[in-house]
Amino acid sequence: MHPSRGVVRRTVRPAVPLLALALALSACGSDGGGGGGSSADGRIEGRITFQTWNLRAGYKDYFESLVKEFEEKYPDVTVKWQDQPAEHYADKLGADAAAGTLPDVVNVSPDLSYPLAKAGVLLNLDKEPVAAKFKGEYTAEAWRGNTLPGLDGAYAFPWYLTTGPLFYNKALFRDAGLDPEKPPRTYDELFGAAAELSRRSGGRTATLAGTPAIEDFGRYGVRLMDEDATRFTYNEPRGVELLTRYKRLHDEGGLDPQALTSTPEQAGRKFLEQKVAMNPGGANDLANFRKNAPSLYRNLGITDAPNNTGKPNMYVMGLAVNRNGKHKAAAIAFAHFVTDRKNQEAFAHRVAVFPSTKGSLDDPYWTKHDGTDEGRVRVASAKSLKGAVNYTPVVMSDEMKTILRNEVAKALQGKKSPKEALDDAVAQSDRLLRRK
Amino acid sequence: MARGDMARNDTARRDTARRGVRLHHPATPWLLLLPGLGVLAAFSLFPFLTTVHDAFTDARTLVPGQWVGLRNFRDMLHDEQFWVALRNSALYVVLVVPFTVLLPLLLALLVHKRLPGMGFFRSAFYTPVVASVVAVALIWSWMLDDRGLVNGILKALGAGPVSFLGDSWLLLISAMALTVWKGLGYYMVIYLAALANVPRELHEAAAVDGAGPLRRFASVTVPAVRSTMVLVGALSSVSAFKVFSEVFLLAGPTGGPAGEDTTLVMLVQRTGTGLDGRVGYASALSLVIFVIALLLMLLVLRAGRGGDAAERREERR
Repeated sequence: MHPSRGVVRRTVRPAVPLLALALALSACGSDGGGGGGSSADGRIEGRITFQTWNLRAGYKDYFESLVKEFEEKYPDVTVKWQDQPAEHYADKLGADAAAGTLPDVVNVSPDLSYPLAKAGVLLNLDKEPVAAKFKGEYTAEAWRGNTLPGLDGAYAFPWYLTTGPLFYNKALFRDAGLDPEKPPRTYDELFGAAAELSRRSGGRTATLAGTPAIEDFGRYGVRLMDEDATRFTYNEPRGVELLTRYKRLHDEGGLDPQALTSTPEQAGRKFLEQKVAMNPGGANDLANFRKNAPSLYRNLGITDAPNNTGKPNMYVMGLAVNRNGKHKAAAIAFAHFVTDRKNQEAFAHRVAVFPSTKGSLDDPYWTKHDGTDEGRVRVASAKSLKGAVNYTPVVMSDEMKTILRNEVAKALQGKKSPKEALDDAVAQSDRLLRRK
Repeated sequence: MARGDMARNDTARRDTARRGVRLHHPATPWLLLLPGLGVLAAFSLFPFLTTVHDAFTDARTLVPGQWVGLRNFRDMLHDEQFWVALRNSALYVVLVVPFTVLLPLLLALLVHKRLPGMGFFRSAFYTPVVASVVAVALIWSWMLDDRGLVNGILKALGAGPVSFLGDSWLLLISAMALTVWKGLGYYMVIYLAALANVPRELHEAAAVDGAGPLRRFASVTVPAVRSTMVLVGALSSVSAFKVFSEVFLLAGPTGGPAGEDTTLVMLVQRTGTGLDGRVGYASALSLVIFVIALLLMLLVLRAGRGGDAAERREERR
């Protein structure tokens, strides 16, 4: 016998039972999607992990005191708070979910919770009585915002909502001969003002720094998907009409030359540099304008984003519970604690966001001006949130958003007609949707 | 007593010999290699094999996937973005590699001379290599902006503004320029090492024979650093084919206007990441990139060997 063969055999033999044990253990770890972990209505105890999305930098103290307060209320629970940066958050969630290490309570938006829920790693709150009993504490729109098509239920406790006004530069409006006190409120007025701005400035002043995204189609009144969210429909005549108007705007110089590639951050910078006349934003931007662009701040106008439906757009944040967590009762209790009325309102007083709990927006903080610009934006945004909807379909993946964006760019460049571009975007997205 | 000592010494020698024999056991080299091989297997071989396997499945980020045979590769043939990405990656090789082979050589020839202050220039040329590509790309994007430094200069010269970041071709060329600029110092250092081995006598002999600087460069320097040029060509062609950061940072996540500047690695990133990533399709793309990059490298190395053989034949004659 060759000595090395003997060595190999001596090495491998003891490893066989170890491998078998490892395989058996790994099989134990996977329950085939049936949902593992402890009972949701068990004792509130154990060590749970709570993950937020890019909130440590500004709100460390708030979350630490929140965790402390919860641990005092439930002494048998220990909460480990962790925060992930904004970049690649979805990739991090995907890696954790695939490895079975998803945190017990995790900060998600509906488009992130959809694939996670579909993979069976999130708790259906409507189907879990311990969680469902809190449903009445949140606004119907916010709870509905976390309800996922085809999955029969809400998969996250509604947390904070964001919406934003449209900022405009009064000086640029004045230079173009437009009344700075009468900003455009409908799409007709927006396109009219843009043409005027471009014409009077000799093409030097663009109105917008970005191309239309899916929520713009929604606000314009385009039907985005069919009822059961199995097919995109934004290529309907109204969608083609919107893109045709954007194409005209682009040709007239109403869109910034780099609009086809710009990110929201770049668009914000263009507005800050006073290269474009209008840009969507939020109350958080005011401090930035005041500090970095005082001349813009002096001429800052604030209005609602143009809307043909009467329903503004809102973005919904939620806290989902890991379906396979070891301490589900504690996770549900904590997710509810963070999102209850008291804590949501406290958080919204620190950040320019809005609570999703019933009755919160009737508080004078969100209904009465305090004389500041922040207060004005806050009150106007809170008012617009009543009846607001999340236009972005939750089944629309990042890849589908990129497809729409690239096809819109082709139409704006004149490489395709608006109809061809939207038909192609819908066909490609539907193909991806069918393979999900 | 003395006999006892001798016996003990004999035993000690036998033990030492036995230990020596053990150290020379056939399995010993493998045991020594085991930690390195373990790391290689865990972080290179296993992911590679997984990628090859996934390329034939419809796996998604959260779904293991089913065997679909060659479907991903068939889909690729009908994917408009794949052909755009392949074109851009190929163009990157064709247009970037000649510059990354020749410019660093010229730069190395400049700083090779032992003159006062040359150390400063060597360091200055190498600085872009150590700078973060993100920071560098950000600075370039500011410079190339419609109202940036470059357009400011053009305006001062009476030329109209050029939309470097708004036009897909100009954007791709700008990214190529950034790649070349950032790689100059790295390849320059490789050439400096090669130039240090070129005997000074060869240049002196050529000069005595009446060869001018250009002739000496073509007939002495280039043949002397030929194998280094092949190495730089192979390295830079593979890295140009796999370009990601420069284009991604200048063109944005959509890959430039209408995605016209997407490269193959960007397409892998776009399709394979996120919670809904098409891991199977992205793996198939990765496999195609691997095969093309491998062929590219073999081609460059073969071309280099072909040149060497021709040279040897010439010498024999």
